[in-house]
Amino acid sequence: MGRFWSILFLMVPVFGVGVFVWAMADWWPMRGHWLPENINAHGGVIDSLFLFILILTGVIFVITSLALFWFLWKYDAAKNAQPVTFTHGSHTLEVVWSILPAATLVFIAIYQMDAWADAKMRRPTLPSGELKPPLAEITGRQFEWRIRYAGPDGKIHTPDDIELGNDLHVPVHEEIVLSIKSQDVLHSFFLPNLRVKQDVVPGMKQYVWFQPNKTGVYDIVCAELCGWGHYKMRGRLTVEPRAKFEVWLAEQAKAQDQSEYPPKAPGAGTANTTAGAAAGLQGTVAAAP
Amino acid sequence: MNVRFASLALLAAALAVGCGPPKVSFVRYTTVAHKIAQDQMGQPEFSSEQWRDIDLTMAMLFGTPDNPEIPALEGGEVGQMMSLSRLKMAAGPVGSDEQGNPRGLYREHCAHCHGITGDGAGPTAVFLNPYPRDYRLGLFKFKSTPDKLRPTHEDLKKTVLEGIPGTAMPSFKLLPDVEVEALVDYVKYLSLRGEVERELLMRTSQLTEGRLMTVVAKAPASGEKAAGKAATPEEAAQQAQLDAVREAVKDIAGRWKSAKSAEVPARPEMDEQKLAASVARGRDLFYGTIANCIKCHGDSALGDGVTNDYEDWVKDLYDPSKEPKAAREYLARGMLPPRNARPRNLRLGVFRGGHRPLDIYWRLTNGIAGTPMPKVLMKPEGDPNAKGLVPSDVWDLVNYVQSLAYEPINNPLAAASEAENLRITP
Repeated sequence: MGRFWSILFLMVPVFGVGVFVWAMADWWPMRGHWLPENINAHGGVIDSLFLFILILTGVIFVITSLALFWFLWKYDAAKNAQPVTFTHGSHTLEVVWSILPAATLVFIAIYQMDAWADAKMRRPTLPSGELKPPLAEITGRQFEWRIRYAGPDGKIHTPDDIELGNDLHVPVHEEIVLSIKSQDVLHSFFLPNLRVKQDVVPGMKQYVWFQPNKTGVYDIVCAELCGWGHYKMRGRLTVEPRAKFEVWLAEQAKAQDQSEYPPKAPGAGTANTTAGAAAGLQGTVAAAP
Repeated sequence: MNVRFASLALLAAALAVGCGPPKVSFVRYTTVAHKIAQDQMGQPEFSSEQWRDIDLTMAMLFGTPDNPEIPALEGGEVGQMMSLSRLKMAAGPVGSDEQGNPRGLYREHCAHCHGITGDGAGPTAVFLNPYPRDYRLGLFKFKSTPDKLRPTHEDLKKTVLEGIPGTAMPSFKLLPDVEVEALVDYVKYLSLRGEVERELLMRTSQLTEGRLMTVVAKAPASGEKAAGKAATPEEAAQQAQLDAVREAVKDIAGRWKSAKSAEVPARPEMDEQKLAASVARGRDLFYGTIANCIKCHGDSALGDGVTNDYEDWVKDLYDPSKEPKAAREYLARGMLPPRNARPRNLRLGVFRGGHRPLDIYWRLTNGIAGTPMPKVLMKPEGDPNAKGLVPSDVWDLVNYVQSLAYEPINNPLAAASEAENLRITP
């Protein structure tokens, strides 16, 4: 029986490493389980930090698992006639396994500082040196994202704001700043493809920024359990060229300003656009790896 | 050995019971039944035979939550209102059919708040403020049709797509169009069903004692009655009752069919100066005696005027201001704890029925069905001396209401400095 347990414990690192390798190689049935495509110009640093920590912990995981296997194998009760001996332990060993992890953690803490500052503190600026104002304000609430574009004056909470739900469009190849807040409980604004994730805390106004470099339709999800409908708190991010973005925004502004019924220009309604975009989203999701 | 046997028996029992979704059925309209039984028959409840009778008739007309049916009527009144294939997509347990088309959309997205029956009393309803809509009254707040008329298909669709800001109703914009259509049809189906149930309760209560509405199992389809066969008087009477029920369903469906969006004349084009003048005029109207908005929305437009009124779903059952204790009887029968209707705080810039000028115009000229919000008094055409507003006055009011959120007094953000999560200036 003893051999069985040692082999079983050997399977832990084999299986653990195998799952990751399988997912990274994108083989069935782990297809699409590795990181989604990164479309943020600043996302690479997050990915490399992730990989660095994964490899570091992975190597330690494999070493400790193999050590465990070796002990199980070597001191199998069925094969060992020798009685158990007690040892007081090794001072040197204890110092080593305290200092080594501590030093590693300190190294990670220092190594990631710049990435953290870039993601959370150094908000993009205008050429004039001023902080770049947010393109839109995102308000999380149970269970949707309400989006408020600043409108032509560039300021949020003015009469020319454009209000939408769950449908965020941003221009490609530009630094995008979003202001995010919560209306009710804790949410987390998560753009998987942009490597952006920020808890949204009621009462706090926060900013996130990113620079998308690929057009397409991506997900906005909530990454903090916020209630029973958390799983369906999903939005849609459309990255498109500046010109297209402006046309779209003008359309939304026009639709929001509708003040006549029946409308003067038939076919200008938003229903068709929504349906078309929804169909587009379906296509993207299906095609995504 | 005993333990093993016991656990095996337990496993067998669990397998026999299964762990599929529980059987769901429509719940009876118990609150209104209590009211009708009291008012019409002088007794607290309908008898169990009467309930059985109503249940059977309802099932004949509308089917079950898993297998909805459209009441088969000559002229296809209800068939024009909704499509059975869409209903089937929205009804039933959550899942998909062999072709991969979704099923059970209503239970997936709506039922936890609005309830399987559309009674606005799903499991999460009691935690929400405002409560979810009870479709059975046929009253919907945010719509383009005047007064208590039914909403149009597009009105309901807009609510599903955009959600209702300021309430728990989220936006379902990302659902494919066909699914939204299915949900809208199903809402209409539940609403129609609720109104018909009320009608049936009323009719049953008015029958002579001991008689039943219909005995569904025996009743022939309405088309066969013309055959002139010798029917017993009893059968003939039942047939007549059944036909009367069908007529009633037709009438109720007709209310949906006839609902048309109110026309709205274009808002006058304005430059900044004219807009400011319009807002000033709107302010006068807001505080004036004709529109008299301040009565409920308050001097400050914070919604702090009349705050002790109730919505129709309460007043429909009893008069909460005169006999508040009657609430107990209805609470015991499934009514949610009544709450006062709160006039909207207009300074938040959150408009539940939509923030387009068009939406606000409709709210003013149509009123909000099922709530104390009346429509403004419009001047009758061709009578310049009559009391009332003209469309340009309403636009002034709309402009004023839209400007409220941006008055400096309630915009502390303008004064706030930009110091949030910035700590380092590069």
